[in-house]
Amino acid sequence: MSLLSVAGVSKRFGGIVANRGISFDVVPGELVGIIGPNGAGKSTLFEIITGFYHPDEGEVRLDGTRLTGLSPDAVCRRGVARTFQKLRPFQGLSVLDNVMVGALTRTKDVRHARERARELIRKVGLSEKADAHARTLSTGQRKRLELARALATEPRILLLDEVTGGVDQRTIPELVRLVRDLHAGGLTLLVIEHNMRVITAVAQRIVALHLGEVIADGAPDAVARDRRVVEAYLGQAYVQ
Amino acid sequence: MHVIPQLIVSTLLLGGIYALIAVGLTLIFGVMRVVNFAHGEFLMLAMYVAFWAFSLLHFDPYLTLVVSLPLFFAAGWASYRVVMRPVIHASHNVQIFTTVGLSIALQNLALVLWTADARFVRTDYYAVVVRIGGAAFNVAQIVAFVVAVGFTAGLFAFMRWSYTGKVMRATAQDRQASALMGIDTDRVYAVTWAVGIVCVGAAGVLLAPIYPVYPTAGLQFVLIAYVAVVLGGLGDMVGALIAALVVAAVEVIGSYVIGTAWKEVLYLLLFIGILVVRPAGLFGQRGAEALGT
Amino acid sequence: MSAIAPAVVFFAVAGLAPLVVRDAFLLDSLVLILIWGTSAAAWNVAGGYAGQISLGHSAFFGLGAYAAALFGARWELSPWLGLAVGAVVATAIGLVIGYLSNRLRGPYFVLATIAFSQVLLIVGSRWRGFTAGSEGIPVPFRPGFWTLGIADKRVWVWIVLGLAVLAYLVQLYLERARRGYQLAAVREDEDAALSLGVPARRLKVAAICVSAALTAACGALWAQYIGFVDPFYVFSVDLSVKFALAAIIGGLGTALGPFLGSALVTTVETYLRAQFGGIGAGLVGIYLIVYGCALIVMVRWVPQGLVGWIGDRLRRRAVARVAP
Ligand SMILES: Nc1ncnc2c1ncn2[C@@H]1O[C@H](COP(=O)(O)OP(=O)(O)OP(=O)(O)O)[C@@H](O)[C@H]1O
Ligand SMILES: [Mg+2]
Repeated sequence: MSLLSVAGVSKRFGGIVANRGISFDVVPGELVGIIGPNGAGKSTLFEIITGFYHPDEGEVRLDGTRLTGLSPDAVCRRGVARTFQKLRPFQGLSVLDNVMVGALTRTKDVRHARERARELIRKVGLSEKADAHARTLSTGQRKRLELARALATEPRILLLDEVTGGVDQRTIPELVRLVRDLHAGGLTLLVIEHNMRVITAVAQRIVALHLGEVIADGAPDAVARDRRVVEAYLGQAYVQ
Repeated sequence: MHVIPQLIVSTLLLGGIYALIAVGLTLIFGVMRVVNFAHGEFLMLAMYVAFWAFSLLHFDPYLTLVVSLPLFFAAGWASYRVVMRPVIHASHNVQIFTTVGLSIALQNLALVLWTADARFVRTDYYAVVVRIGGAAFNVAQIVAFVVAVGFTAGLFAFMRWSYTGKVMRATAQDRQASALMGIDTDRVYAVTWAVGIVCVGAAGVLLAPIYPVYPTAGLQFVLIAYVAVVLGGLGDMVGALIAALVVAAVEVIGSYVIGTAWKEVLYLLLFIGILVVRPAGLFGQRGAEALGT
Repeated sequence: MSAIAPAVVFFAVAGLAPLVVRDAFLLDSLVLILIWGTSAAAWNVAGGYAGQISLGHSAFFGLGAYAAALFGARWELSPWLGLAVGAVVATAIGLVIGYLSNRLRGPYFVLATIAFSQVLLIVGSRWRGFTAGSEGIPVPFRPGFWTLGIADKRVWVWIVLGLAVLAYLVQLYLERARRGYQLAAVREDEDAALSLGVPARRLKVAAICVSAALTAACGALWAQYIGFVDPFYVFSVDLSVKFALAAIIGGLGTALGPFLGSALVTTVETYLRAQFGGIGAGLVGIYLIVYGCALIVMVRWVPQGLVGWIGDRLRRRAVARVAP
């Protein structure tokens, strides 16, 4: 049984077709990677799944119930959490308060939410920054914060937009380990990632997008070698 | 029946002045992304300039108009330097309160200096009436219209063909890119602000022979300008021009149909309606109001 | 998150002052500080905590004032009823403005709120048959608590203090409760808040409605206290700015800030009026010039307001003391 199912999703912005008939399923416990060159429509797909954009066609279902048409906050409460490609921490709030906002979606008790938030902050390795304002964090720390915040909503599936993008080389392995740990703990993940080495290493399956369409869907090795994928990334010249 | 031509000509006359106020406001927003809540106070100050030049120096308002343009430019430049420049990269809320603060300070400066009394510029030709198509019009209204239209046309030409105007438009399109291209954005903002103030200043002088001036006189006109600017799409100069005529038409026809007492309600409701239905203005793209964040 | 001790002291001093102070001028100042402080606190609920900057809050204040005045003067009913009805009507209008806040941002929202208060100004000043038009409404003095005809300013201090404490508690709730955390998230970044399951739209509307109702209640008490309602004053943009100013000076999004801001603003206003009022009627505008300049200076240089500024000082001193 699939947990998340994307069925025939299309989205146009004026003349640009950002998504065209995209379909794929994610089964529980799976870690699926999404790759594609800049402008392929990856983030747009995330916006549609999480209810920020309404698709022109198609629909998204979680465990059989329709998500399409729900508002983003309702989608989150159903169990879909996400991070943003362009990070959006609550700048004026402390790290702890940032994560508490997520936790308070699942509990009405502020004290309980605070404990839960501390736990998650420890899990992502931000404990010594718990009381600092979010605006004082480095990019890598912000990524961890967004991760902790999203996890606090107790998602059934977590959508990560660019785990390692914009982070310095030394931090990448730590973030990758974090994602691996989450997956090992039983979480289902859908991960956009530009770094091919990273994504082929962590994903069980990869969906490749190009110009808004799915051009490959399968095991990481197979997708990485797929002719159309190589073409999309490197241009025609390299294939011949 | 002379009603229809009278309404049309009234609309045009009123719309010309509104356009001049609105164009300055929208120019400032377009380039600087700042809504100038003190715009009306500059209008009021210009009306006082016309009044004092008339009563102390016996300057005809149209003479004042010519000599005061550099003064308005200087006042605009100075107010940019002192008040706006420190907040030009600040958040919207900070900018809003800065111009609101400027508005309160200027309005009450006028109150302290010149009291709340309404004052009039009574020129010799005050009562002279011109007949157009069977309808009667005050000569000052007609002069104001002609000058305002000429002025607005001049501003359009300036924006389109002059180097400074082009630089201003480039900055309006993309601040960062312009800065990277070596444009001195600080200077562009100063000029933009000053030009916007010159426009509203000219409008103020033109209004002086028609309407009384008092410290809060700016508010009613600038509210209309806000309506026109939002209707035309914040930052869109052509839009503001057309919208000024639309607002004038609403006002003129509204006054005729339901009486002058309630005409303001009409355009305020129009305003709220537009904000709800098409925040980006009649001609703008939907979603452009997000630029306001 | 602020400590409540300073607030307890503030309200205790205000509540006990009438037992000691007999001077009518001082008591009058205290009543006004509390009324304007409560109005600013009400504004702060929307402007500070929810981040919805309104310059049309005088619409709610005026509604409350008119409701109380009309109930007393026109229908000879209790102004308390007027207060309640005013608060309900203000809440209804708050729903409309809340709806607007979900469509409009930044300057667009500010313009819409100004337009709203202007519409009410025109209705208040032109609808002669109902509101007595531009002359305004004198509020009859009918002795008694139920009719709010109270000559003793000490009693007024306690009545207004009740509303002030209520407004303070609402703000405290927004600092400590679940909905407060969520609202702060909405203020910081609405989309991010939505992505975490926060019902952002409903929260904003709720905050604006609460803010509107409290502001209307202030207007009702003010009308009874002053005894006259002038549409050009109660619906003015200046009054809306005054609420915002006291909150900004005291500290945006802090619970005690609006009251401290009001204490400062009201005192300065009273002082300048007394100083210059006699010389020439026009000179009363001086305090407004000071307001305007203060606003420009505060948002630029002391955006955290008095509460934040004092807090910073204390913290720095504490750090200095700990460090060798
Ligand atoms: N709100 C929008 N309005 C107009 N066009 C948009 C919008 N969002 C995305 N697009 C366009 O849709 C296309 C897909 O964009 P999207 O952000 O989904 O790509 P992406 O795969 O995430 O790229 P990247 O790797 O750079 O993040 C692009 O051409 C983009 O310009
Ligand atoms: Mg993307």
